[in-house]
Amino acid sequence: MGKGIPSYTDEEFVAAIRRGDDRALAQLYRLHLPMVSHYVLQNSGTEDEAKDVYQEGVMVFYEKVREGSLELSCQIKTYLYAVCRRLWLKRLAEKTRFGGRLDDHEPYLETGAEADLDLAEERDKRFATMSEALERVGEPCRSLLEGFYLLDKSMQQLTAEFGYTNADNAKNQKYKCLVRLKKLFFAHYKGEESF
Amino acid sequence: MKTEADYYALFEAYRSGELAASQRADLEHRLAADPNFAQLFADFTELTSTLHGYGERLATRRKLHAIQADLDAEQAVRLEEGETLETGIPTMPQVYISPVERKLRAFWGAHRATAMVAASVAVMAVFATLLGLEWWRAAQQRPSLYGYTVLRREVERIKQTQKAMNRAINQIDGTKPETELNPGKFSGTGFALTADGYLVTSYHVIQGADSLLIESRDRQRYRAEPVFTDVAHDLAILRIKDRKFSGFGRLPYSFKRGTADLGEKVFTLGYPREDVVFGEGSLSARSGFEGDTAFYQISIPVNPGNSGGPLLDDRGNLIGIISGRQMDMQSAAFATKSSYLMRLVDSLSAVGTAQPYNMPRTNLMAGTSRRQQIRKLQDYVFVVKVYE
Repeated sequence: MGKGIPSYTDEEFVAAIRRGDDRALAQLYRLHLPMVSHYVLQNSGTEDEAKDVYQEGVMVFYEKVREGSLELSCQIKTYLYAVCRRLWLKRLAEKTRFGGRLDDHEPYLETGAEADLDLAEERDKRFATMSEALERVGEPCRSLLEGFYLLDKSMQQLTAEFGYTNADNAKNQKYKCLVRLKKLFFAHYKGEESF
Repeated sequence: MKTEADYYALFEAYRSGELAASQRADLEHRLAADPNFAQLFADFTELTSTLHGYGERLATRRKLHAIQADLDAEQAVRLEEGETLETGIPTMPQVYISPVERKLRAFWGAHRATAMVAASVAVMAVFATLLGLEWWRAAQQRPSLYGYTVLRREVERIKQTQKAMNRAINQIDGTKPETELNPGKFSGTGFALTADGYLVTSYHVIQGADSLLIESRDRQRYRAEPVFTDVAHDLAILRIKDRKFSGFGRLPYSFKRGTADLGEKVFTLGYPREDVVFGEGSLSARSGFEGDTAFYQISIPVNPGNSGGPLLDDRGNLIGIISGRQMDMQSAAFATKSSYLMRLVDSLSAVGTAQPYNMPRTNLMAGTSRRQQIRKLQDYVFVVKVYE
């Protein structure tokens, strides 16, 4: 599709995404979607499942790049394929009774995708706990913390939004909320399945 | 005493580098000295970094969703515009699949493997059964060699057609149908050896028999028992044990002790059907199946039921006993040589059994026409019925 969209090499992609270039991300996303979508459709998946899996796979890649801890020993395409393949097989195994059909004799294991996926899984668990803790911390704490940490709003903005008399009040409130969140988070995270 | 919240304020300031140098050094010192304090700091760090990471994750997810939404929108537009403009690759025509078919496809997709396994098991079971049955049947039919078929008749198999035929005949005749009689399981042919009740037939006819019944042409029935059998030469000697039996009368044929010549005109009478059947041919070889010298090869068409029938030459000498035929050869029948029968009778006489064997010495058939020969012979040829 020669529509004046800049084409990147793999290194340029990684560099651009690390800088936070959303256009590069979009470009990358477009580039490899057909491959993964084809793979999932070939292996008894639907279009929507393909998109889901692909987004998850891109997420793993993206987070690794942003952290700066990506060690790419192959093409991005191969890496993404390996990650998405693994994710899809896992989903299939959960979906069907025939869980034992993951044929892993192919050379996708050397892409490092496996180890990255394990890390990503660990992170997913942490985020899930965090989301749960945020659910339970209660209003106004939840909105306050989400506003500050998740939506990157400034303290001034939040002070105005929540109607605090000054920023220090809002800050104090935020710290108290943080302490509460901490208790909830660690109680669940360390204690694992105590929900 | 500071609360945890106050410490958090301190930590955040430290993290963002807002602390003055002295406070900063103080904090770092305390972190190094107090493990509890250090733990507090570590928890704070993990909590905030997780929060940040979570925020970033949500942002990324939104971004990806937006990209996907863009793509979907683009695709929709492209589909509306008509596919040729943009890419030159025509989008595949969408086939409409009914919900039922979709369900069936999903079912097939999910259970394909199971169905395959079941199908192959079924196929294997069928073949195993068929092969097993075939093998079992083959094992049942012991005495038949490859290509060699003994000619005893399985009565059960032809009973049905026989009945139908009888019925048809009776209808034509208009006579009363005969009373049903147990026809026995197998049947063959036998002929008189002596005037006082010894008969000869093939061993394989009476093989496995529980009781034997001899039936003459005029429907006279006698019960018989085997006296002696010779498996190697396929011979059996029977004796009629009925008290009412008074003897056959004088036998019209004599037994040849030597071997007959090649090309000799020979004939036989037998019971491949319910009626006596005449068969004629010549002596084709002086050895039998696979070169067995105890047998002749003859060119008479024989059928199951002919076994045990007499084989006579032109002058009315008995030269053999019909035994079997070769499947893959045109009208190649085999008959045991009469010399072997003679040798058997001689050895039995020498041992001295209850009754002596009074073999016929004169031949009443020599020099008469074939029709007369047969008329004389047919009273001495019998059906041998075997009950198991």
